[in-house]
Amino acid sequence: MSQVSEPAHAPTSTGIEHKKLIMWLFLASDCMFFGTLISTHLLYRKLYPTGFTDAEGHQRFIQNLFNIELTSFSTFILLMSSFLMALAVSAMHKGQIKSFRRNVLGVIFFGLIFLGCQVFEFTHFFHQGLTIQNSVFGSTFYVLTGTHGTHVAIGVLWLILLYFYSFTGKLGGHVGALDVEVAGLYWHFVDIVWIIIFTAVYLVEYLGPSGFWGTGLPLTK
Amino acid sequence: MSHDTHHAPVASKLDLAPERSDLGLIRPDRKTGWADWLTTVDHKKIGVLYGAFAMLFFLVGGVEALAIRTQLARPDNDFVTARMYNQLFTMHGTTMIFLGVMPLSAAFFNFLVPLQIGARDVAFPRLNAFSLWTFVAGAFVLNSSWLFEFGHLAGWFNNFSWYKSLVYTDFAPANGWFSYAPLSGTVGQADAALHAPRFTGVGTDFWIIGIQILGIASLAASFNFICTIINMRAKGMTMMRLPVFTWMTLVTSALIILAFPAITVALIELMFDRQFGANFFNPSAGGQPILWQHLFWIFGHPEVYILVLPAMGIVSEILPTFSGKALFGYPIIVFSGAVIGFLGFAVWSHHMFTTGLGAVPTAAFALLTMAIAVPTGVKIFNWLGTIWGGRIRFTPPMVLALGFIWMFMCGGFSGVMHSAAPADAQQQDSYFVIAHFHYVLLGGVLLGLMAGLYFWFPKIFGRMPNAGVAYLASGLVILGFNLAFGPMHYLGLAGQPRRTHTYHAGNGWETWNYVATIGAFILGIGVFLAFANLVWTAFKGEKCSSDPWGGRTLEWSLTSPVAEYNFAQSPIIAARDAFFEDKHGGRRIAYENDGGEAGVHMPSQSWMPLVAGFGFLMIGLGMPMMSMGVPHMGWLVISGLVVMFIGIWLWALEGPGGYMLKTPALGSTPSTPTYTTARTH
Repeated sequence: MSQVSEPAHAPTSTGIEHKKLIMWLFLASDCMFFGTLISTHLLYRKLYPTGFTDAEGHQRFIQNLFNIELTSFSTFILLMSSFLMALAVSAMHKGQIKSFRRNVLGVIFFGLIFLGCQVFEFTHFFHQGLTIQNSVFGSTFYVLTGTHGTHVAIGVLWLILLYFYSFTGKLGGHVGALDVEVAGLYWHFVDIVWIIIFTAVYLVEYLGPSGFWGTGLPLTK
Repeated sequence: MSHDTHHAPVASKLDLAPERSDLGLIRPDRKTGWADWLTTVDHKKIGVLYGAFAMLFFLVGGVEALAIRTQLARPDNDFVTARMYNQLFTMHGTTMIFLGVMPLSAAFFNFLVPLQIGARDVAFPRLNAFSLWTFVAGAFVLNSSWLFEFGHLAGWFNNFSWYKSLVYTDFAPANGWFSYAPLSGTVGQADAALHAPRFTGVGTDFWIIGIQILGIASLAASFNFICTIINMRAKGMTMMRLPVFTWMTLVTSALIILAFPAITVALIELMFDRQFGANFFNPSAGGQPILWQHLFWIFGHPEVYILVLPAMGIVSEILPTFSGKALFGYPIIVFSGAVIGFLGFAVWSHHMFTTGLGAVPTAAFALLTMAIAVPTGVKIFNWLGTIWGGRIRFTPPMVLALGFIWMFMCGGFSGVMHSAAPADAQQQDSYFVIAHFHYVLLGGVLLGLMAGLYFWFPKIFGRMPNAGVAYLASGLVILGFNLAFGPMHYLGLAGQPRRTHTYHAGNGWETWNYVATIGAFILGIGVFLAFANLVWTAFKGEKCSSDPWGGRTLEWSLTSPVAEYNFAQSPIIAARDAFFEDKHGGRRIAYENDGGEAGVHMPSQSWMPLVAGFGFLMIGLGMPMMSMGVPHMGWLVISGLVVMFIGIWLWALEGPGGYMLKTPALGSTPSTPTYTTARTH
């Protein structure tokens, strides 16, 4: 890069770099964004606790739809990707570019596994009869988890670009570490949001004998 | 070429070879003329562009308002059709709020905030340009709906198959500025093309995507401003020494980043309902239209404070200047502004008192709404305390600022009336509500913004607006405004409903509607005169000194117009109103030994924010046309996404760039101020 006095180096009033501060501000805004989407889902779940009606007009229960083992697996994968992301940031701070590349490839790989699981899940649910059109549950579920999936996809794209950029030799020093750290903040946030979605959308369906909403199926299918 | 050439400080960017990005693209940092304005990353030029677009759209929204008032001048009038009337009042509200007031506030944020905190630019100059061009794209998308509407009226589309298949032909948005579901949404089952039957035409699609794009612009700008204010203050500029306008910018930006996500989600949900047959607000599939009202007003009420707080900040700068006194109760004014912002999130349901929320929520929201009058009243008393006993100079900005206090108070009083839920149930959807919020938004916000324009124009252009025309325009605006909206209090209480294209004779509404229309035209002439005076000033006005008003804040310490680097040396601040105290007392400002021959860093200009904004324009135009059934429009949307991505990607790759610019030398100015303890950070 041709910048002479790198603006990110300029001392700031708070000592926090501009890029990091603006990412925190974006994440604050994104909290409200996901908060609104999750609220929409929970409000409708409380209002219509009995699941949805499929194309043949059969009443369907959420527990019969969800595959909690698969979703738990993809949740675990996403959590582990956050661990690798932390390693990648740490490597960057120490100037270990090869370690950074290894770890960030791991994050990308795990992120793609998560997205693959979501694609499989969406396809599976669609064949089970849940569409965005046939119920309020379908609308809120697909839009909420789909929006999260979009966030993950943007994160994966960002990390892929960072990965290839690292081969130009320009990703380094304080600025490079900061750029990776900011991407890391985003990645961790998307991960934390998934923990909340996994709890509020999936796990609560299995609380108690008939789910948190009180009208699901008993756990023994 | 070598990048080393850019290390040497230069007296002008024209002394340098053009900078190239890593991909070999030439940075447009030597452009002049229109290309300079399109690629600028200078916060002052971006501020001027924001202001110019805002004034243009004020006039567009004003013409829409005058069409509405012409229609209502007489009973049973047929100046416009009911369908056209719906589009007029919807676009009037949307234009004034999102394309008039918000960008004009943004113009002040852009121009003033870095100057007031002693910085050389905002934290992210190119992101700032991106906000501007994305705003322009959103504004263009919203108003392009008028082109379709006029094309439809002129019969241009009659031979197209997509046109023949349209059920509704209101091409401009026609749901009111809050686009309540289910009117804006769908009903019944989606067909094979995933479209459920709708109540309104593609105007709603223009509105959804237009507001979405404008929201992105506002969010990006707000992240930038919070970052700038928190992180780029000059040494000694502690938070409690910030000018009040900068404080209100901070509160407003915080409101934007926390309130806009609610409308973003609501718009996404509504878009899914309309485009893909989802059921968020579709009553026949179990969707709850009231959810739209909640989501909209969780955004919509903070939006009211997003509109009014900048004007309050402007007035808080003008009153002390022309009273010759420091602002009375600075900490209380700042704290009240923050409390207003905080409470602004807790009163949204007072827009929904008649929806049957239940006794407890209604009582709670009524109490909170009454509570928000307290910090507002505190501010009013502080302003009165500021001018009390002062040596008042009735300059044009001062006249407008005093008009702001007076008119805004009237709006506040009728606002407190609304907080009483039983009274509100009588006033809901009547002209009383129109009167109330126009006293707040026009008598308050517009007068405040006009005061700001007349106050800072000499700083922006180094030229003084004609005072005689300014007094005349101010008088016409205040007179016309009261004639137009004062009678609406009575009309509302006498039962005239809002959003109704005409009324029958014999209800006793004829006289005051006629008076209101006369007032609206006087108001329109006044605003046009005020703006015309400003445009004339920008080019031909009489040149003035750099500090014509006896200003108090740092921007007045600079030359007019301000040099592109703002501060030749970074200031060190030792007091609130440091510049004023520096002029009239001991030394309160010193300067760091930066700049000079060593130069200051100037960022390079860039095409990329404009390219990314253009991508948004393609998306914004493509989606409603896809909704109309115009063929191949899906490709326009996809191309728009690609253009946006390429713009952002190249933007990231080119880096901030820049060069070192020499500034005038420090001279013999001491490097420490001599007042209190100057906290460095």
